[in-house]
Amino acid sequence: MTEESPRLTDPIGLAGRTAPSRVIFGPHVTNLGRRRALTDRHVAYYRRRAAGGAGVIVVETASVTPDDHPYERAPLAADCGPGWAAIAEACRPYGTVVLAGLGHTGSQGSSAYSQSVLWAPSPVADAVSREMPAEMEQEQIDAVVAGFADGARRAVAAGLDGVELDAGAFSLLRQFHSGLTNLRGDAYGKDRLKFTREVIAAVREAIGPERVLALRLSCDELAPWAGVTPEQAAAQVDALAGSIDLLTVVRGGPFATSAYRPDGHTPPNFNLDLCHAMRKAAAGRVPVALQGSVVDLDAAQAALDAGAADLVEMTRAQIAEPRLVALARAGLADRARPCVLCNQTCLVRDNRNPIVTCIGDPGSGHETEDAYLDPLPGEAPAVAASPAGDREVLVVGAGPAGLECARVLATLGRKVRVVEARERAGGALRLAATGGPFRERLARLADWLEAECRRLGVRIDTGVAATPADLDGEVVLATGARPGPRPECPDGTVTVLGVRELCERGPAALPDGPVVLDDPIGGPIAVAAAEWLAAAGRRVALITPDGTAGNKLALTGDLADANARLQRAGVERVLRSRLREVGDGHVTVEHVWTGERRRLPCAVLVDCGYELPEETLYLARPGTPRAGDCVAPRTVLEAVLEGRRRAVELATGGAR
Amino acid sequence: MSGTGRYRYLFSPLRLGPLTLRNRIVFSAHLTNYAEDGLPSEQHAAYYAARAAGGAGMIITEEHSTHPTDWPYEKLIHGFNPEVIPGYRRITEAVHAHGVPILAQINHNGGQASGMYSRLPVWAPSPVADPLFREVPKAVEEHEIREIIAGYAKVAGHCMAGGFDGVELQCSHSSIVRGFLSPATNKRTDRWGGSLENRARLLLEIVAAVREVIGPGKVLGVRLCGDELIEGGTTIDEAVAVARMVEASGKVDYINTSIGVATSTLYMIEASMRIPPGYAMFIPSAIRAAVKLPVVGVGRFKDPLQADRALQQGQADLIGVVRGQIADPDFVAKARAGHADRIRTCLSCNQECVGRMGLNRWLGCIENPRTGREAVPLPEPRRRGRRVLVVGGGPGGLQAAVTAAERGHHVTLYERAPTLGGQVAVAASVPSRAEFLDLTRNLAARARHLGVDVRTGVAADVAMLRAENPDAVILATGARPARPWWAGDLDRVVDVRDVLEGRARPSGQVVVVDELGFHQATSVAELLADRGCDVEIVTPGMVVGQDLGITLDLETWNVKAHERGIRQSTDLVPMGAAATGDGRVTLTLQHHPTGTERTRTADWVVCAVHQRPEDELWHALRGAPFPVHRVGDCLAPRRAHAAVVEGHRVAVAL
Repeated sequence: MTEESPRLTDPIGLAGRTAPSRVIFGPHVTNLGRRRALTDRHVAYYRRRAAGGAGVIVVETASVTPDDHPYERAPLAADCGPGWAAIAEACRPYGTVVLAGLGHTGSQGSSAYSQSVLWAPSPVADAVSREMPAEMEQEQIDAVVAGFADGARRAVAAGLDGVELDAGAFSLLRQFHSGLTNLRGDAYGKDRLKFTREVIAAVREAIGPERVLALRLSCDELAPWAGVTPEQAAAQVDALAGSIDLLTVVRGGPFATSAYRPDGHTPPNFNLDLCHAMRKAAAGRVPVALQGSVVDLDAAQAALDAGAADLVEMTRAQIAEPRLVALARAGLADRARPCVLCNQTCLVRDNRNPIVTCIGDPGSGHETEDAYLDPLPGEAPAVAASPAGDREVLVVGAGPAGLECARVLATLGRKVRVVEARERAGGALRLAATGGPFRERLARLADWLEAECRRLGVRIDTGVAATPADLDGEVVLATGARPGPRPECPDGTVTVLGVRELCERGPAALPDGPVVLDDPIGGPIAVAAAEWLAAAGRRVALITPDGTAGNKLALTGDLADANARLQRAGVERVLRSRLREVGDGHVTVEHVWTGERRRLPCAVLVDCGYELPEETLYLARPGTPRAGDCVAPRTVLEAVLEGRRRAVELATGGAR
Repeated sequence: MSGTGRYRYLFSPLRLGPLTLRNRIVFSAHLTNYAEDGLPSEQHAAYYAARAAGGAGMIITEEHSTHPTDWPYEKLIHGFNPEVIPGYRRITEAVHAHGVPILAQINHNGGQASGMYSRLPVWAPSPVADPLFREVPKAVEEHEIREIIAGYAKVAGHCMAGGFDGVELQCSHSSIVRGFLSPATNKRTDRWGGSLENRARLLLEIVAAVREVIGPGKVLGVRLCGDELIEGGTTIDEAVAVARMVEASGKVDYINTSIGVATSTLYMIEASMRIPPGYAMFIPSAIRAAVKLPVVGVGRFKDPLQADRALQQGQADLIGVVRGQIADPDFVAKARAGHADRIRTCLSCNQECVGRMGLNRWLGCIENPRTGREAVPLPEPRRRGRRVLVVGGGPGGLQAAVTAAERGHHVTLYERAPTLGGQVAVAASVPSRAEFLDLTRNLAARARHLGVDVRTGVAADVAMLRAENPDAVILATGARPARPWWAGDLDRVVDVRDVLEGRARPSGQVVVVDELGFHQATSVAELLADRGCDVEIVTPGMVVGQDLGITLDLETWNVKAHERGIRQSTDLVPMGAAATGDGRVTLTLQHHPTGTERTRTADWVVCAVHQRPEDELWHALRGAPFPVHRVGDCLAPRRAHAAVVEGHRVAVAL
């Protein structure tokens, strides 16, 4: 089978078009818009992926009627004409098939921006927003069908190759498909595909046979008591296969929104079997695309080889590495920056409207403003580096900030030496990459940074502690963080350590007895540490000032899942509490609002609190350029971003 | 008696540096999220102009950022960008047209921020992470402190070019100056930290730099926090000492006051109706006793009389009324005219003002559908004098009737109950929620004033509506409780409305099942606990009363719940209910994270669950010879604001 199966880099015909590769850059929230229109930031974002070899790009899903306004910058099809045209033009030189994402989120939308009622098949409140929608009558149904057709007409008039209709995890179409949300007694309830068929017919009528009509279909709502099951979905695929040109198989529904594009706690390629089953149901009538945490080129190829899919959607992989397909084509697949499935900065349907970006490539989403973007194979970076002297640049610290700084300097033609006090490069990223398979995935970014540095000729000297005397010439400090203030145990009955020490030593090295984690941050690290300790058989309690553990995980989509995992693991979540006293084999916590105190048995207290900058060298040479945690301890995103910025400043003479 | 007579203190002019204010009401600084691309918008100008037209004594705009490192929320005005100046001019001209002075508040939020938007390290006196943003800031170096001071001076210059009458320095709530003043966040050992004199150095240097830029002919104010309500933070004695230093500088014209820190004790800054009015007046009182400068007091001033009393008692020289003028831009004008009873008083519900700020949305108001939309003029009615029938006297029907009447239509409103208010009156029957009743009380008063023919105790039916042959019918018939599938026909499983409307009177052990996450469950729990019941709230959600966090009620409700012994259990989905032999109810609950089953046996179960629309008239009027509209819960049962905006929108479109 392997010999005859296509390669990812092979073209594929879709309706009257040919996609230059079988890798899809799928639709996702970017917050790159202005009001409800697409912008030049979108254009640059998609152009970069087209140039990098994406076969199909589905532009951020646009609402087909103005009543649907699911997030502030959700595109509105009526406002997207000029943006679609600009994207089509920008991607045309690369041959990429560009589709407009068209959708309506129904009861999963928001009334906050529209200030008007949500419409849905039936009056069933969404499980997440708890807002009750109104039941659509024929007038509203007809308006949405017309909206899809109008949007499609507008998209092809703008020069796009077709459209993708959203019947995925956040969609009105799926709400009609599902027994969870469609309780209608009329024809749209008796035949739950009727609405989707009407939409498809109207869109086909609008775009004709030569343009692509793609469908994103949730084939498992993970709610078998009334939701769409894979068996039902197979029948839906069978019914619809003849009327569409591309089917992307996804999962998720009202009770499983995070299952659509979960972080690495869910193993990659999770839709493989589901997709395979749907491809069988399609029986060759329509090409089928695999979606779902596919971030590895080999796994994607394996899906084609296994006959599970004809195309593979690798959205996050191309947020992290826009050149993914081009590198594969050039035989340089190992140079692709890995997606570590952290979801920290690329999952941006959030009230704050963060711009989509990547912890490993902070230029993602910032294509119009950032000076440095990785060049395509065989091309030079766009940054005009000033003539390099013979002297090496010294980077102190081989964490993500130091390695990224060295990597970019080397890419820009500078000689670089990195010194690292530890025995291994990777810094805090490697420490964070402990405690289970999900966390360990983070190490791939450290591995990649290190490998790229070495490939580019960067000297990395580990086990070398720099001193102020070493700081001659061009230097960048990336010395990381040091522990912050720690609680003390006056009577010595509780062992107090930092989460870094836990990561270094592992649970087995801790004294026996109950472990308490104190997490004033609400971040992923304390949650992971608690899970790690519980899995090691320890009795664990996690103190948080918030109403849930790991509050910051709201941005990654893991908040509810993380709290469920903690409860299943038997971790006691000590909510809305702060640590007050340590001693007598206990910790005392206080409720943040009521002041009520209680004691928890404790043999080991793990401080998961804030760290402080390691700035000894900086204070010896104030004004030296620095990056990452040694400026202020934050996340890997800031470390990489600042490492890159310092590199560009040095290489262009922007700094001293 | 005219307002100027009745409110002797409120309407006595006040000299403020070079300005003379015609009354003592200040529309003080608050976020609006009206900025676009970091610039002030047309909406800003229209918003402030409406309050100037309504007679405010002075307006202070929302903050203008002084430096690119300061970008804690998306829609912050980037005052450091000279492109703001045309927008400033648009604001000041619109406000000055009404003869009202306007100041700009300028600020750097310091460590109370993240780098999400700026992509820069956050600046603060010391690397102490803020409890909300939870990002360790960079401790600023000497040259960066110079940059901060220069930033304030630069933005003050932009404000002068933009036509402002002066500037206010935000040194409370959320500010790098607050960060330096407060021992909780300033851990420095150099000349900017340690003694109060050192901690206040940044403030005084900024005062000097800003005064230098604005010259003697403009107003300079300083807003100080009197009590941060945080451990190791600024308290009143230090605030008074700083006020003395500010006065001694000889460069400042007034002192504004505040309480709390925006990122940890916001619920005391923008207090909800659970906190008594006037709660923060000890601060201006103490400062006023120590300095001669005029002092502004703030804190849930809802009506002119209350403000007049505070002035009379010498608690302050000026009163900040923010939410009161968000709800009613004509707050001052109505008081002056002796029509204080016509003021649409703020509820302090925080649902659409404060609540939307925290969610990065534009500022609105639950009872004023025009707030946030001032820049979009209402279309002229195509025709006046239509005969409009409104069915339902809750917030949706009342708002529809009021707007229709304001636009020249002849309105009759039918309400089948003997009194108006609908579910608002039900919700407000809980003592801690009593002020919510102002929503429909204000609307009812307005309806009467406009001559709406209000017929209570009349259940409108199809025949009657058809017989009237109106030009339009607006249905606002509300919702009715829906029995959850698991409840069977057990008498002791009742709805929140059954309890609040007096049809059920639970006693003993009560389980409240909350699927709504708002005031319904927490209110009824509080009421029943006050009546002596032993109450537990169970919810499928991750926290009880989730959306009370948005309205800043969660902290105070939790304190009360703790006092009353109300238990809170999360992640529980009801799966069934059965009668026990002794008339009690056993509830079966699934703990969904673990898939395990639990039971609760109680005397009563009270459900806070989704309702069903009362849409019989809607269906029965299909094909009627006149247009029929529906608003509010009879379309889809939601919160009061939805009813109000829909009632307004439908009436505007008539």
